Amino acid sequence: MDNRTKDTLIAWSFLAPALAVLAGFGIFPIGYAFYVSLHQWRIRKGEYIGFDHYLRALGEPGFLVWFIAGLVLLWCACRVYRSLRDRQGGGYLPILIAAGLGLPALWLSLDQGLGGLLETGDHRLYNGLKITLFYALGTIPIQLGISMLLAYLLFKSLRAKGVFRILLFLPYVTPVIASAVVFRTIFSPHPSSVANRFWALLGFENCRWLYESKSVVGLFLRALDISTYPAWVDSCFPSLALVSIVLYNIWVYIGYDTVILLAGLSAIPRHYYEAAEIDGASPWQVFRNITLPLVSPTLFFLSMVAVIGTFKAFNHIYIMRTPGARDSVDVLSIAIFDLIFEFHNAGYAAAMAFVLFIAILALTLVQNRVLGKRVFYGD
Amino acid sequence: MATRRGRGRSWLIYGGLGLWATVSSFPFAWMLLSSFMTRGETLRRVFVPEKVQWANYVQAWKEADFGLYFENSVLIAAMQVGGTLLFSLLAAYPLARMEFRGRNAVFACILATLMIPESVTMVPNFLTVTWLHRSSPFAWLNSWPALTVPFLANAFSIFLLRQFLRGLPGELWDAARIDGAGHFRFLFGILLPLCKAPLLTVGMFTFIGSWNALAWPLLVTNSPNWRPISVGLQQFVSEAGAEVHLQMAGAVIATVPVLLIYFLIQKEFTEGISMSGLKG
Repeated sequence: MDNRTKDTLIAWSFLAPALAVLAGFGIFPIGYAFYVSLHQWRIRKGEYIGFDHYLRALGEPGFLVWFIAGLVLLWCACRVYRSLRDRQGGGYLPILIAAGLGLPALWLSLDQGLGGLLETGDHRLYNGLKITLFYALGTIPIQLGISMLLAYLLFKSLRAKGVFRILLFLPYVTPVIASAVVFRTIFSPHPSSVANRFWALLGFENCRWLYESKSVVGLFLRALDISTYPAWVDSCFPSLALVSIVLYNIWVYIGYDTVILLAGLSAIPRHYYEAAEIDGASPWQVFRNITLPLVSPTLFFLSMVAVIGTFKAFNHIYIMRTPGARDSVDVLSIAIFDLIFEFHNAGYAAAMAFVLFIAILALTLVQNRVLGKRVFYGD
Repeated sequence: MATRRGRGRSWLIYGGLGLWATVSSFPFAWMLLSSFMTRGETLRRVFVPEKVQWANYVQAWKEADFGLYFENSVLIAAMQVGGTLLFSLLAAYPLARMEFRGRNAVFACILATLMIPESVTMVPNFLTVTWLHRSSPFAWLNSWPALTVPFLANAFSIFLLRQFLRGLPGELWDAARIDGAGHFRFLFGILLPLCKAPLLTVGMFTFIGSWNALAWPLLVTNSPNWRPISVGLQQFVSEAGAEVHLQMAGAVIATVPVLLIYFLIQKEFTEGISMSGLKG
């Protein structure tokens, strides 16, 4: 046996145990989920039923076709706009043409497609996806914004850096179960809860926090004595219960984001700043033109981690959900867990899991294309 | 002028940092203080208990059977951490420092598993483990194999260790080969002692992950024999209802081991984590 073959053999034997675990419990389950989802499956395998589970979850296939066709048309409108703009160099014509194509596409996709899907599909699936969206939009921008500020302050501070770093990092290393239990009492509807005491300090009335399924906008309108508002206000904004969970999530992850951003900031070569100082750049210009582009890979990494984290969110929601507000906080992972844990319906749960997988795949690809382009990877 | 401006700025810096440090440590203070209160005190609007009620801890420990759950969690965590460290280091070594066909493809496949959340794999993995339980000579469900085997390797650990191993100088290998060492002896004799920070980081992450696990243990166990402390605390909380002081005592019990280890290794841990966000 020559040296090369021997090396290859050694390499694969080193990899073997980890690959066996990852293949068996990380990659195989995706294919297996699809196989299971095509069957009636409780504890053991039942009869083959084809795509019935998907029809039940997603809704009428006709609407699905409309939805996808609309999205494809919208994408085409973007392409047309871009190529026209490049060829003609601005002007109203490209915008008009793109709008003429794009607006009907949007209507087709949303009103015809999505509207029908929502009516005929499984409420748990679409509601779970909607809550995941609220959750992502509520956590990620705020989390990254505050972390960026804190990382900047930490970077500038000369003393006690280590102490602050330890304190900021505490929430992230604390067991989720324990901290979620603590936040459950902090956001309890009881008048003695921390949240209500703080609210009273600011002069507001007691809230039901984790027990509140009404949307925050709805509650705000009620506080202004407008008690009759259209129903969509409660369905198009996150509930107070979800906002409480979002606040918990921000509290947990800011430390982690800050530590990683601090590393990103520290890696920026000093001479960029020195050059900017000589040129007399203002602090804002320095931030906008040096700091932000040079930490953008770190921000991109953190936003990817946060998006995946949003889909992973389970433990704290499972602990903090309350009987009255379940419908407004149950993300898809909770719905999948309930299907298998409470209803023992493995076939349908696997179908939901597979839909979730496709959604994540699509989102990751889009995020890579849209955000990936704006990331600056140096010269 | 300059010093006054400098002082104003440092006020701003330490004010901002201090504000968030307070926000991030307040829930810990609240947890600790409430765990020492009487039931009456948790219902009244007080922040500090009049007399420290150590008895809460004894009561919570006994009522929730925390002794058993605690032991289970420690055993599960030890197996997961040991297995992950060994398997991930073994896998990271050829990916970082050996040339062989298919290396990049394997690495890409490993990284791809990072994208897949547990909620996607949970259902099929549960069926796999059930099948293994029925067809292998030893029990998987309600026992340690189901709780540990699926978590003995993960992409993040392999990635982190690979990044670190790649950064070590190449001359080490030349020197080792002159001494007649093979890959195995090189990895465990020479590289291992250099990998303290990344190994502690991977170990800590695995430990936290194992201590946090809730959905999976709920699925694969149905008796207290192998149930971890996360499940114990979750059930205690949903049963105990309004007994806030006992819930908080339980939360403290579940938190202490993790924070203890964190304080011991926090320097290496933050270093290792900072590394994970950098490209390379």
